[in-house]
Amino acid sequence: MTTKNQNGQSTVDQRTLYLINRSVDGEITALEQEELDRLLPTSPEVHDLHDSLGKVANLLDEAPEIEPPEYLKGAIERQIRLPVQGHKKTTKPGLWGIEWLNTSWLGTGLALAAGVVLTVGVYQMGSEPISEGDSASMVGTIARRGPDVQAGALLDSVQLDTSRLNGLVELRNKDDLFTLSFKLNTGEPTDVVIDFAGRGLEFDDVTGTRADDYRVAVEDGSIHLAGTGEQQYTVILKRTSGVKNAAPLGVNFLAGNELLLRAKLIIPED
Amino acid sequence: MHKDKDAALVKSCQLGDRRAMSQLVSKYERPVFNAAYRILGNMDDAADATQTVFLKVFEHIADYDQKFKFFSWVYRIAINESLNQVKKRRSQKSLDDSQASPWQGPAEKFDTAELCKKVQGALMLLSEDYRTVVVLKHMSGCSYQQISEILQIPEKTVKSRLYSARQMMKKTLLHDDAGFEGARGE
Repeated sequence: MTTKNQNGQSTVDQRTLYLINRSVDGEITALEQEELDRLLPTSPEVHDLHDSLGKVANLLDEAPEIEPPEYLKGAIERQIRLPVQGHKKTTKPGLWGIEWLNTSWLGTGLALAAGVVLTVGVYQMGSEPISEGDSASMVGTIARRGPDVQAGALLDSVQLDTSRLNGLVELRNKDDLFTLSFKLNTGEPTDVVIDFAGRGLEFDDVTGTRADDYRVAVEDGSIHLAGTGEQQYTVILKRTSGVKNAAPLGVNFLAGNELLLRAKLIIPED
Repeated sequence: MHKDKDAALVKSCQLGDRRAMSQLVSKYERPVFNAAYRILGNMDDAADATQTVFLKVFEHIADYDQKFKFFSWVYRIAINESLNQVKKRRSQKSLDDSQASPWQGPAEKFDTAELCKKVQGALMLLSEDYRTVVVLKHMSGCSYQQISEILQIPEKTVKSRLYSARQMMKKTLLHDDAGFEGARGE
């Protein structure tokens, strides 16, 4: 069970170490336990090692579980897109918009907009006006605003500087409006997902002054914008109650489903 | 049963069922978050890693091979993502703030908070290879075989790393603060 090394110190042999580890990890068999029980009283070194490793294992086992942040589950679920039955993924660049329209979260959003609950709607930004039918399916106001809404105190900003994504995001506040202004340059179709659930905010408007091509979808608690190339737009959120700063305003940038970057913008508490 | 239920939920997710997705997220959010926290030592980083893990899981859910255990697959992604973040963070900031305990509560919670902080401090002193096996064994409750599957290393290596890691942690957990050991009633 123990042998003396060159310095005259006792060392525990491999078989005994094996038994001690199996015991500490709760993977020891009845026969092995009997063998260990016979060894323990015969050597102080073996006893001490078993005792100390057992204490370490107990402390580790007793370490309490950490509660995940409350916002986390919702934030995860809002970003997940499931495959649509029978839909084969395509990555052909020219068809990316079509693929985007076929994604399940958007499908869900459209179903909800048809009358289930909470979905605000989907519309394409551009020169075409929003029809009355579109407006009727939306909850809240979607109306073009002038550039004045972009004024206001700068609360936070994030500079984006990666090989696949460049730009600037600024969060401003004026009265009850919070504006997130995006100046982006991407070499590939990129989705921007803004998670504002649980912050006492609701979607109010999106204004775009420059974009090669981008689309917007609003679900309960999150806004999805998809575009490519140079894009410049402002998302406006409206305060509905006391703003809670339990979690920062999360902005995720994705290419396909690959997360390129996650930005966090802080709204000071009221 | 456990495996069959996961398999059924995964199958539903592959057909686009968001309720099934929500159930899987509910089931694995906490263990993934805890594993990530224990490896990263920071709540915000753990939350980021957890989000990325689930994005990756469901990005590849259509290609998931049912002959493998779902939980092993999720854990493998979680460990890899956490280790990736460790590498990224290492160049961005020091881990000084990682020692902060997420436990903030009344005085009676002191023992729990102290234990949490002490264990986390000891974990952060280990290299990632050792930290990972300790987390999977003691925090995630995985067996040697499961750890071997998740990390794709031989069981022999799992045992060897566990032994070495606990030997290293003895100094921090048992000897640095004798009062702590006493406070735990050992």
